[in-house]
Amino acid sequence: MFYKEYLKTRWYLLLMLLTTSGFAGYGLLRLHRVAAVNGIGHAWEVMLMHDVVFIDLLEYVPVICGLVLALMQFVPEMYHKCLKLTLHLPVSHLKAVNQMLLWGVAATVACAVVNYAILWGYMSQVLANELWSRILWTALPWYLAGLAAYLLGAWIILEPAWRRRIVNIVVAVLVLKVYFVSEQPMAYFGFLPWLALYTIALLSFSWISISRFKEGKE
Amino acid sequence: MCLTVVLLLVWQLPWLINFVSTPSGHSPFTLYSSLADDFIYNDMGDDKKLRRFGTSGREYTEAETDSLLPFFYMRQLVADGRFPDTIMGRAVTPHEVQQSNLIERFNPRDVNTRGIELYPLLESMPKRVELAMPDDMFRITADGIEFVRMESNDVDREKSERFTKALADKGFHFPATRVSGNPSPRKSYDEGYLLLDADHRLFQLKRCANRPFVKQFDVADSIRLEHIFICEPSGRQLRGFATDDAHRLYVITADYRLAPTAVEHFDPTRERMLIIGNMIDWTVSVTGDDAVRYYAISADDYSLIRSFDRPLDSSSVPGLHFTSANDNYCYPRF
Repeated sequence: MFYKEYLKTRWYLLLMLLTTSGFAGYGLLRLHRVAAVNGIGHAWEVMLMHDVVFIDLLEYVPVICGLVLALMQFVPEMYHKCLKLTLHLPVSHLKAVNQMLLWGVAATVACAVVNYAILWGYMSQVLANELWSRILWTALPWYLAGLAAYLLGAWIILEPAWRRRIVNIVVAVLVLKVYFVSEQPMAYFGFLPWLALYTIALLSFSWISISRFKEGKE
Repeated sequence: MCLTVVLLLVWQLPWLINFVSTPSGHSPFTLYSSLADDFIYNDMGDDKKLRRFGTSGREYTEAETDSLLPFFYMRQLVADGRFPDTIMGRAVTPHEVQQSNLIERFNPRDVNTRGIELYPLLESMPKRVELAMPDDMFRITADGIEFVRMESNDVDREKSERFTKALADKGFHFPATRVSGNPSPRKSYDEGYLLLDADHRLFQLKRCANRPFVKQFDVADSIRLEHIFICEPSGRQLRGFATDDAHRLYVITADYRLAPTAVEHFDPTRERMLIIGNMIDWTVSVTGDDAVRYYAISADDYSLIRSFDRPLDSSSVPGLHFTSANDNYCYPRF
């Protein structure tokens, strides 16, 4: 199952990794430019006085990447009727869909880890702990939103009926809005563990779509 | 999924209703006038034109309001050639009025939101006329004060030890529970930071000629301070404000004392406060959940002159919110 998912998404995953890393790198380039022109002290000051985090262009990138990953992974399944075949394999249909989702979750998390390594690698050299940790904490809800977008995207695509799919889209948009209610740095700090748990629980939404698919709803 | 849909409805529907309904909870701008011995406030009449009233019910014209609030409308009176030589028997000049005027805002958001715990300590006695940002920032740990050089991102051990020793020698117990400063070079002078130590005792830390200046304030043992707010008014008449565990408001005076005020209750974690002061009196407005409390207090000894409450009509539909005007955090709350 994992190999099948790998074959289906490998080029997109490479593109996703390059895109998110590119945006993370661009954020670091902005920081580097500020340091080169005005001195690194100026970067510290604008972070302190004006809540600048330098990587704000990255904000919606994980969401877009998560949605496109869901499209790349599950639209072919639905379009080529592969899902119907998969669900006829001699394994539990929940186990089958969980393995497919697990692949996407693992890919999204791996992408976030690489991005964080890039950001931390540079920022920890030039910024105090208080400053670089603030940037990384600020970005965490964005990456959780990417994961949520992937799981909600899968839920919508796997839904067999169009009318219900539209309802799912409305719910998904409102759920994703929760991840972007505040733009203040570290605004989600205390809420992050609960938001992370809720994001993982979104995996169960696809079970509803699969059950409806099995029941032959259209 | 059902729970998610219910929560989304509880979040979005009240928001939508509140968004389309007429906003309430308006509180008109109000100032105390010693000349009229009354609070004067601006409000819209039925004709949607700005009108001025006293709490006694009397309506004032614009020119009368300017004359009754000469400290606040000083520039208008000077422009009209109507600025008086004496106010309340005291000879005044526009420059003196400008120096003694005071406007301070206090927002729960600033108290409830944990900022970056790095602080630039400006040189309070700069060789040049203007203040300048330093090339390091300090943090206060459980063991002392640490200066981090921004250029190399490492700790300046020698300076850190010097400042830690200066604080410890004055009886400061680490770590600090509150730090309040105004680290901006765009001001006429610098008073460094006000600090509450681990025992909630009040200190001032400044950098004078690159040496530490530490001073403990004279505060009675019975007072346990909870919040401190540094203030650098152009007239240098005070150093800041403080509240204690019973939410009493104090003025931190220029001579390192703590002076109680007539404001009997101000909780900086829940209430907003605006102080507009002059050399005769201060108007203090404290905005709580259901009312705005106005106090007119003497600028000399902070005793009460007059007060009144204005109820707030906060008839919004309750629901789930993720943000609040009282902090910068995002989490679900009803």
